[in-house]
Amino acid sequence: MGTRVWLDQPMRLAGVLLPASAAAVGVVTLRVVPRSDLAVTTHAGASWAAGVADLAAGLGLLGAGLVVWLFRPGSGSGPLVVSLAGLAWLAADWVGWEGGPPVARSLAMAVEPFFLAFVVHLVLAAPGGRLRSRHRRIAVGAVYAAAAIVSVGRALFRDPFLDPWCWSNCTDNVFLASAQPDVARALDSAWILFSLAVGLLLATLAVRQMAATTATARRSMWPVLVPALLLGMAVGAHALALLRQRLESPRDPVFSSLFQVRAWAAVGLAVGVILVAVRAWRARATLARLAADLGEAPTPGSLGLALASATGDPSIGVLYPLPGSGRHVDASGTTVDLPANRSDRAVTPIVRNGREVALVVHDAATVDPEQLRMQIGAAARLAVENERLQAEVLAQLEDLRASRARVVEVGDAERRRLERNLHDGAQQRVLALSYDLRLARAGADAPGASDLAALLASAEEAAQGAIDELRELAHGIYPAVLTEAGIGPALWTLADSAPLPVELGELPEDRFPKAVERTAFVVASEAIDAAGRLESTHVALRMFRNDDRLILEVKGAGPGPFVHLADRVGALGGRFTNDASLIRAELPCV
Amino acid sequence: MRVIVAEDVMLTREGIVRLLRDAGFQVVGEAEDLDGLMRSVVLERPEAVVVDIRMPPTHTDEGLVAAQRIRTQHPDVGVLLLSQYVEPSYAMRLIQDHPERVGYLLKERVFDAAILVDALRRITEGECVIDPTIVSRLVGRRRREDPLSQLTDREREVLALVAEGLSNLAIANRLFVTERTVEAHTKQIFGKLGLEADPGSNRRVLAVLAFLRSPVA
Repeated sequence: MGTRVWLDQPMRLAGVLLPASAAAVGVVTLRVVPRSDLAVTTHAGASWAAGVADLAAGLGLLGAGLVVWLFRPGSGSGPLVVSLAGLAWLAADWVGWEGGPPVARSLAMAVEPFFLAFVVHLVLAAPGGRLRSRHRRIAVGAVYAAAAIVSVGRALFRDPFLDPWCWSNCTDNVFLASAQPDVARALDSAWILFSLAVGLLLATLAVRQMAATTATARRSMWPVLVPALLLGMAVGAHALALLRQRLESPRDPVFSSLFQVRAWAAVGLAVGVILVAVRAWRARATLARLAADLGEAPTPGSLGLALASATGDPSIGVLYPLPGSGRHVDASGTTVDLPANRSDRAVTPIVRNGREVALVVHDAATVDPEQLRMQIGAAARLAVENERLQAEVLAQLEDLRASRARVVEVGDAERRRLERNLHDGAQQRVLALSYDLRLARAGADAPGASDLAALLASAEEAAQGAIDELRELAHGIYPAVLTEAGIGPALWTLADSAPLPVELGELPEDRFPKAVERTAFVVASEAIDAAGRLESTHVALRMFRNDDRLILEVKGAGPGPFVHLADRVGALGGRFTNDASLIRAELPCV
Repeated sequence: MRVIVAEDVMLTREGIVRLLRDAGFQVVGEAEDLDGLMRSVVLERPEAVVVDIRMPPTHTDEGLVAAQRIRTQHPDVGVLLLSQYVEPSYAMRLIQDHPERVGYLLKERVFDAAILVDALRRITEGECVIDPTIVSRLVGRRRREDPLSQLTDREREVLALVAEGLSNLAIANRLFVTERTVEAHTKQIFGKLGLEADPGSNRRVLAVLAFLRSPVA
């Protein structure tokens, strides 16, 4: 974490102030919290358990802010808000500091209402530390404004001495401009109602967030949302209790248990914030490792995997624009369509030197585009570049393969057409000729026409020869049985008419894509021809399916070379290998 | 005999029709495609149909489909399939489900009126007919250890005729021997080759063809 050169001035300042103030406030609060049996002016002072809960909540939030700041640089005002929430929480203890400096108690009174505002802010800004929509900014602004009005109003007009429901601070307000008990009381009532509303809002928001967002977002957000729900309900319940009984008493079982719930919910919130921050930090570390591993050329797609673990969004994908084509490919070079306008999927472009180098497709609810850009920018710039270049090359290879496959496909279609023309044209005509010859011969069988009969017989024989040759030619150009019955029967026919024994092992009964069947047939047929030329004793042939590949093995065809077979198999994206004893063709057949 | 001819190439169809008429057959219908053939069969109730394997609309295996449909729906109608392909797999597919009243002949063969008449007669008598070219290709198939080498020349001759679908009586007439002699031969052949099928039934044709095509060459 030693290279945070991008930190700006305010963050440096916060970096110094936060730990110092956290320590100071903590120490002072420890001293402040009185364990008096006479007058209980703070919840923390009411019992040993309440004191523990109070400190855990306040120091927990202060510490959480610190942890977020350390582990998750770049989360904006996030850590500050968390720490300020802790400070505002502890303000209640300072308000009730019997015998403490009046200015501290008065200041704490002014700070206290802001706790609610900080909590709403931090929950709405989670997990990125930024308020991502206008609605949220308005909501948070409204809570801040209300807290500020109450804070200023109390400071200027509340004379604690004249407050009939004072319990924690009944003497000091150094800011008092003019004692206005009616105004102070109206402000208090309004604040109670406002707290009720905000508490319920917070709870509803937490529930809605959990229900509405994707599973990924839920997984990453629950540590914050569950305590927020609890805290919202506790704040609302506290307001209700105050409406019923305006004089708060830390010894009253209702108030004291509500305080415990609030305090532990705040502790939960602190833990949740830390959890989310540590997760994000570990994710960053993964990305950093990826960048470090670049020397060893990571496999295509590792950037996507690293981002998935970094953001907690397993559905994340990285696409690269192919220059000059308007297409996008994934890391393996396969063309991928961008997701259509969908509310749950977002596309964040990664721009380098004014050029779009990558697009990250991600869960709209979990992943903050700003943060994503920064995560990629900070650690994985090289990985992006490297993977982009790889993807480009792979895409070109894929294009090339597709064009080879098209060439083969066109050739096959042409052969099929030729075979049809032969079958329906030339073969039919010679058949008709042979028929006419036969009729003519029947007519010429009359006595005395034996020369003519002999001539016609020889013509008939020639016609039959033409029929046989045409048939062989048509079959050689394109075996009709291959299209009509599939590779299995076609291999049978091949074996039936082979010039040497062909041993057929297992054969699939399924049909496969036309190009695959044709290629398998060509491989088998050429292998048998090669074996025939070598005068092998026999050929053994088998074909089977292995997941999404059709595998053809021929033994006894010799060492080749079979360059054009390798070309043909390669054109389909398959693999062709052969040595002296075995020819093996693997054909993708999805 | 009432016959229907289904063949999409007019030249060939007319040739076959003329041949059949000359030979004394009654051609009660001509069809150019699968649907037309099926309609004619229902209307005319012929004793046999002569069908081209390749017909519109797809020009692939309409004839085979028609044969199977006719054999299922009208079991008393014989089917003679004409083809330009020396494809044992087609012939075997034809006789697989209904080994009687069907035939597979190469197209040029039917211009020999005697062969055409003989095939149709055998089919209507309940036999099956397999083109000799297909049988001789299977019998002549190259094998490493040829099980057919255990057979005498006469036995091989009988085996080929069995594969062509001839009955024992027909084989006897062809070879100028008695039917009992042929029976003895077939028993002997089936024993030597380890064939399980009843040497007297129509099923034996399929058994012999399957044996001749057995995968271990």
